[in-house]
Amino acid sequence: MGNRIKKFKNVDHVAAALKSADYICSKTIATVVFLAQATLKPVLVEGPAGVGKTELSKAVARSLGRELIRLQCYEGLDETKALYEWEYAKQLLYTQMVKEKIDDVVSGARSLAEAVDRIAEQEDAFFSERFIQPRPLLKAISSSQPVVLLVDEVDKSDPEFEAFLLEVLSDFQVSIPELGTRTARNIPFVFLTSNDSRDMSDALKRRCIHLYIDYPDRDLEMKIVRLKIPGIRTTLAGRLIDAIHKIRDLDLKKKPCVSETLDWAQSLLALQIEDLSPEVVRDTLNVILKYQADVDQVQAKLEKIIN
Amino acid sequence: MESWLNRVYLFTVLHHSNTPFLNGFIAKALLLMVDLVLKFVGIARSAGLRIATSEVLDCLNQMQLVDIAEEPQFAAVLRANFAKSRREQRHFDRLYQMFFHELRQDASIVNSEPLAQQVRDILQALAPVPKDHPNMQTVLDFIDGNPLPYFERLQQIGIGPDDLNRGPGANLGAVTQRLEIMLALNAVEQALEQFLVDHREQIDWEMRRDLKALFKSRLDSARRLLTHERQTYTDSTDKSVPYRQRLDHLGEIHFASLTQKEVAAMREVIEQLVRKLKDTISRRYAQQKRGVLDIKKTLRRAAGYQGIPMQLYYRHRPLRKSKIVALCDVSGSVWSAARFMLNMLYSLQECFTRVQSFVFVAGLDEVTHVFEDFEINQAIEKILKEADIEYNAATDYGLTFRQFKYRHMDMLNKKTTLIIIGDGRTNYGNPEARILDEMHQRSRRLIWLNPETPYFWFTGDSEMRTYMEYCDEVRPCQNLNQLLEFIEALVL
Repeated sequence: MGNRIKKFKNVDHVAAALKSADYICSKTIATVVFLAQATLKPVLVEGPAGVGKTELSKAVARSLGRELIRLQCYEGLDETKALYEWEYAKQLLYTQMVKEKIDDVVSGARSLAEAVDRIAEQEDAFFSERFIQPRPLLKAISSSQPVVLLVDEVDKSDPEFEAFLLEVLSDFQVSIPELGTRTARNIPFVFLTSNDSRDMSDALKRRCIHLYIDYPDRDLEMKIVRLKIPGIRTTLAGRLIDAIHKIRDLDLKKKPCVSETLDWAQSLLALQIEDLSPEVVRDTLNVILKYQADVDQVQAKLEKIIN
Repeated sequence: MESWLNRVYLFTVLHHSNTPFLNGFIAKALLLMVDLVLKFVGIARSAGLRIATSEVLDCLNQMQLVDIAEEPQFAAVLRANFAKSRREQRHFDRLYQMFFHELRQDASIVNSEPLAQQVRDILQALAPVPKDHPNMQTVLDFIDGNPLPYFERLQQIGIGPDDLNRGPGANLGAVTQRLEIMLALNAVEQALEQFLVDHREQIDWEMRRDLKALFKSRLDSARRLLTHERQTYTDSTDKSVPYRQRLDHLGEIHFASLTQKEVAAMREVIEQLVRKLKDTISRRYAQQKRGVLDIKKTLRRAAGYQGIPMQLYYRHRPLRKSKIVALCDVSGSVWSAARFMLNMLYSLQECFTRVQSFVFVAGLDEVTHVFEDFEINQAIEKILKEADIEYNAATDYGLTFRQFKYRHMDMLNKKTTLIIIGDGRTNYGNPEARILDEMHQRSRRLIWLNPETPYFWFTGDSEMRTYMEYCDEVRPCQNLNQLLEFIEALVL
């Protein structure tokens, strides 16, 4: 059974497998991922920027040993960029080639009808597999190995594309007018991520299992820091995470997310700093805050954050 | 909660043990489970969550796949199916906490048969009293472990989840209704206490203590639900709702009467509007790439490749980007309108080939470089402080036009849209309408924005009537909505 498809056995297995793929998740995330696998439904992941929405799908792909196919959404994304397109240039070359060969095929034909019949016998190559250029969605559907499909920032796409996506995700088949319907050989593991820049339609939501990833709690974030930056001391990591949590409670334009916690830890490590003091925080604030107004606000409350 | 989960756990264990004679028992247990979820769905629906039947079915199916004895998993299944947006998330958590923890926490006591019987008896004894009072019945039901009517009641008066559309007028009714429920809660509490005192002889001490604790905890959770304030969630994921509201609010305010705070809010709104406009514009460009094939052009170009159409051409005219020259009167009240227009123009810079701007009172100064060197808002502040013009002088349109003619007339050509923003009040100076005519002749379009109320345009020293002749378009520009209309017409 060498080509057996890898699968999660239960919720705990999900958590363990994701951990070995360098992704530490909460029980909720593990449960939803497991359910999605068991019910073959897409997961709609929402949450603030930088909490690991995209990373989750990558980790799932890694832990299952599947290929990750990514479709980045943006305004104006349409089917030709998401599903397939014909390679016009190659098709044109093909017609040139056919022009030369056509004499061989029809030579000796006694009537026009016979000539047409002979041409019809030939392979219909103009609209065929040869000249189709699969885009992410078609790739995911026609792949012989099961894959993980990540539709990133689906809220950025137009409502029309959302309707189209809905159709694809509900029965995992697409129709190409010239070739017929393609049904998925293996139903891909689908993740949709959204930053809530607009509300997704109810129909899409109903098709998906919903997962909201929030900023991690203290223990979880600690585990993440320890995993990603093994060299850091526990006391420093603890102080750092406490500070980050206090900063997140402030009313900021952009709150520091997990990746910024990691950046911060990394830079403290690089600066060989052993303990968090107000001076250290002041000097390194730019790593975690991206707006000057935020920096000013945090600096004003520095004493509170450190103690 | 423990007892309930224990029960569920027991059933799961039995379910796996596969003992045939237990099958009936297991079926019953599963039914109980289904019943529990359905009850929760009923409550969640009456509390305003929209849950489709298919979602309930999905949820029940998924229950079989996970270990429901472990609470995080159980909660995750419910949450994944029932709370499908950020807004519903918090509401769901509250309901979940209430239903599975607060109402169930005392399940062990209630389940000890004598106490449950006692509760039922007491509630029945009290039941006939509040016939005239519907609220009281709902409260009694709530204590009996059936919170559905209570939730429906709360939903009716709008304490439930987000019903943002509630008008301000509806508020007073809600307050009185809330008060009525509060009174009903107090009345029930008193009645229960009275009952316990009256029946001191019949009910022993321990039972009375348990009953008291039970009633208290349930009344407390009922009160909490009633006084619960809808929490606003202000994090980075939530942008869409307040912006529309703020626009509705700010859109009609006259520029001159904006407070400092509103100016700041205005900036954010403008930022979002501009982002939206850019999206629309970029989509228009994307749309341009489609369209009907231009056969003539394709064939003509194909000649270079021995008649093979290597590249297809479509029949679309490329969009024309225009050059903008803006003249802004920065005297007094006009400035407040001008700053917002400049803000928007420069935010939309990539929609034009070039934006050049001048400020004037009496005499004119080019400020394009300030906008190129500084961030928009900084630039606006900087212009106010540093531009080389006499802010205290009387406005002189004539002088301004003369200066423009001598120094910058070559800027205008057939691709230029000239925008003048000002009230046209020349302080009885020479209006120099001839120069304006010349400017109009040289440019593609001349648009005049006037921040004054149209009613006053032709009064006093206003030269609007003279200037109007030479403009392609004259628009009032007093508030954000009007400005927005203009900008949309300009770029789209």
